[in-house]
Amino acid sequence: MTDPFSIELLTNYLLVGAALFALGMLGFIARRNLIVMFLSAEMMLQGVALSLVAFGRFHGNWSGQIFTIVILTIAACEASIALALIVVLYNRRSSLDVTVWQDVREPGIEPVDVAAEARGAVLATDADGTETYPTLTPAGVEPAHPIRPWTERRR
Amino acid sequence: MGFFVSNIWLIPLLPLLGGLTAGFLARRIKLDPFIPVAVGVGLAFLLSLGAYASADAERSVLVSRWIQAGSFVVPVEFRVDGLTTLMLSMVTFVSTLVIVFASGYMHGDPSYPRFFAFIGLFVFAMTGLVLSNNYILTYVFWEGVGVCSYLLIGFWYARPAASAAAMKAFMINRVGDVGFALAIFWLWAVVPNHDLSYQNVLAESTLHGLPEAAKWGIPLLLFWAATAKSAQLPLYVWLPDAMEGPTPVSALIHAATMVTAGVYLIARSMPLIALSPDVQLLIASIGCATALLAALIALTQTDLKRVMAYSTVSQLGFMFMGLGAGVGSVARLAVVAAIFHLFTHAFFKALLFLASGSVMHAMGDVIDMRRFGGLRRRLPYTYMTFAVGALALAGVFPMAGFWSKDEILLALESAPHAAEEIHFAAGWAYGLIYWLAMFTAFLTAFYTFRAFFMTFWGPEKLPSPDDPEAPPALDHAHDHHHGHDHVVTGDAAHGHHEVGVESGPIMTYPLMILAVCAVGVGVLFGPTHLLAGHLEHTLGFESLPEGHPEFSWFSAIVSTIAALGGIGLAYAMYAVPSEAPGRLARSLKPLYRASMGKFYVDELYQATVMKLVLGLAAASRVFDVKVVDGLVRGVAGAPWAAGREVLAKYHNGLIQFYAAASALSVAVLLWLLLFT
Repeated sequence: MTDPFSIELLTNYLLVGAALFALGMLGFIARRNLIVMFLSAEMMLQGVALSLVAFGRFHGNWSGQIFTIVILTIAACEASIALALIVVLYNRRSSLDVTVWQDVREPGIEPVDVAAEARGAVLATDADGTETYPTLTPAGVEPAHPIRPWTERRR
Repeated sequence: MGFFVSNIWLIPLLPLLGGLTAGFLARRIKLDPFIPVAVGVGLAFLLSLGAYASADAERSVLVSRWIQAGSFVVPVEFRVDGLTTLMLSMVTFVSTLVIVFASGYMHGDPSYPRFFAFIGLFVFAMTGLVLSNNYILTYVFWEGVGVCSYLLIGFWYARPAASAAAMKAFMINRVGDVGFALAIFWLWAVVPNHDLSYQNVLAESTLHGLPEAAKWGIPLLLFWAATAKSAQLPLYVWLPDAMEGPTPVSALIHAATMVTAGVYLIARSMPLIALSPDVQLLIASIGCATALLAALIALTQTDLKRVMAYSTVSQLGFMFMGLGAGVGSVARLAVVAAIFHLFTHAFFKALLFLASGSVMHAMGDVIDMRRFGGLRRRLPYTYMTFAVGALALAGVFPMAGFWSKDEILLALESAPHAAEEIHFAAGWAYGLIYWLAMFTAFLTAFYTFRAFFMTFWGPEKLPSPDDPEAPPALDHAHDHHHGHDHVVTGDAAHGHHEVGVESGPIMTYPLMILAVCAVGVGVLFGPTHLLAGHLEHTLGFESLPEGHPEFSWFSAIVSTIAALGGIGLAYAMYAVPSEAPGRLARSLKPLYRASMGKFYVDELYQATVMKLVLGLAAASRVFDVKVVDGLVRGVAGAPWAAGREVLAKYHNGLIQFYAAASALSVAVLLWLLLFT
């Protein structure tokens, strides 16, 4: 019985994987929103994982799959750390724009003025009002919160 | 194999353990540090006697495998043959006596435990040296005795003269070690299986298979090594300076044992050396020149220990004359003669040195013979034993020195004839060497008894600081001649002993035992052929041609006349204070001053070799600072400059820029990999 997973099928998988990877890379380079950049990076990872799975299937062994599982695990850990970092960064500047973090550069080099939004960003400690967090659309029923809900803390 | 052979490794191990105990443990467990060393070395002596009885030419004991790299194996293997066991017994016996003597001599020195730790280490290295069954292990212990010599010459390291002498000894020995190392490399390249064990290198099949160049090159390199360790021309200059060390060290290391390592090496390699009569003649000539030069220098030295040092150099020259005389059919006779002289010399020279030490001890660390005299009543035991040692050194019948010196002279006498037999054209030179050796024997008797009469005869005189010869109180740290009558520091630390009083029994008993040996070993081992018979059990010696050794009345009578003549002359000139030595010195002023100044060999070295070495060192320093350091700094500076000038501009803090740059780089790399 011949293996139905032919070289043509593999090529298709690889094309999809490459497309995912390329799209992710483009997104990472072109977007400035920290969360979107992170999602793009995850997309690159998925493109690679897809290629690995396809190769594993093509060679008729499990190593590709195993490798992918490992990658997914690592990616999950990475996501938690990255999102925590993003929250911290947002708290510092009240903005998700990555260009406000140009401080880590060689002394004597002018910062690149990317957007007016970056200029407007101020240190969270300098801004008046209460502490704020990045928001997503709320869903479901809001729990009875012991502390003030985030909607009210929003400036 | 008996107990003594299979446990031969205990012989080096026990002194080592003794030394370690003395150095690290003795004070903590309230034990006199000399006890563990004396016990260790004493036990090693007893074991050596056992091994002596079971010596055999083919006997060797594998202790462990040290280096194993492919087919190249260096085992720690000990040889138990005639030469080895003879050396072992001699070394451990003399060491035991010297250690006992030193426990009295060094008493009160703040570094007392360190001294005995070093002595233990030395006996370990020396026994290992004579036990080793291959050239590489011999080399290791060869270096080991060198290190111990360095440590013990510089024992009073706070004294500049002592540390300079230690450094000098070490450096000059390094020069010789280069020769040894080269010899080992060459041997490794030419012997079958790269096996450097003695039974392989000295096997007849190996010796026949050697390339022509190696047949004279390797003996020459081995002799080069021996000239440094055994203080021969032109590398003898370290030994007289080595007298800066404590006197027991001079007796043990720089007279009886370590300096004979070179003689041992040549004797051990005799089948190899005997391949090249030219090298043998060179060995005999160098030995002769050294013996004569050292004897001439010893004539005028005023420092008792220094006279003994030059006498050691001279006697080592005799041993090399003996080894060099072994051409053709004399080979076995000559090597036995040299080893016999080595053997007897160890006893009487250790005796003379220890007696000098006893004098020095009694004189409050003054060793300049002009500052004391007529000590025979004050130091009766030292006087008697010194007399025995001096007679032995002078070669008077029936002392030890007479028999061994006579054998060397006999070998030299038969050498021209043997050289003729093997068609060696330059054999006539041995005749010249024979007469020069005879003359040196005369000089030896003279300078030995000059020292003897100056020290023990004449009106009694004890050192006082008012002497014209006494060194000025402060400004003599740089003074070579009186390096050790340093009263301000150094020696003053050891043995506070009343001036002019005989040393205690712990120091006089070893002297007496050695005196008995100096009388007895010659007649016991020489005419009875005990030593020659024992040495027959040595690897390779049975293949040496056995000549027809016959006691030569001619040599014996002439050498006795020479010795008695020397003694008589010394008696006439020095037994009672007279004007004769002064008048003679004035009439031969240039010669006298040259001898007094040690023929300016040190100055010659200073002006030539040292200049060259210092110049090379300065040039190397410039090369190191400018070229090597410059290269390193340049390599380190290049990325730094590139980063600052070029890459820093792109470090702008924009993540997207970095990501785009790396994506682009990967793309370029991929393109290069896939499409070129």
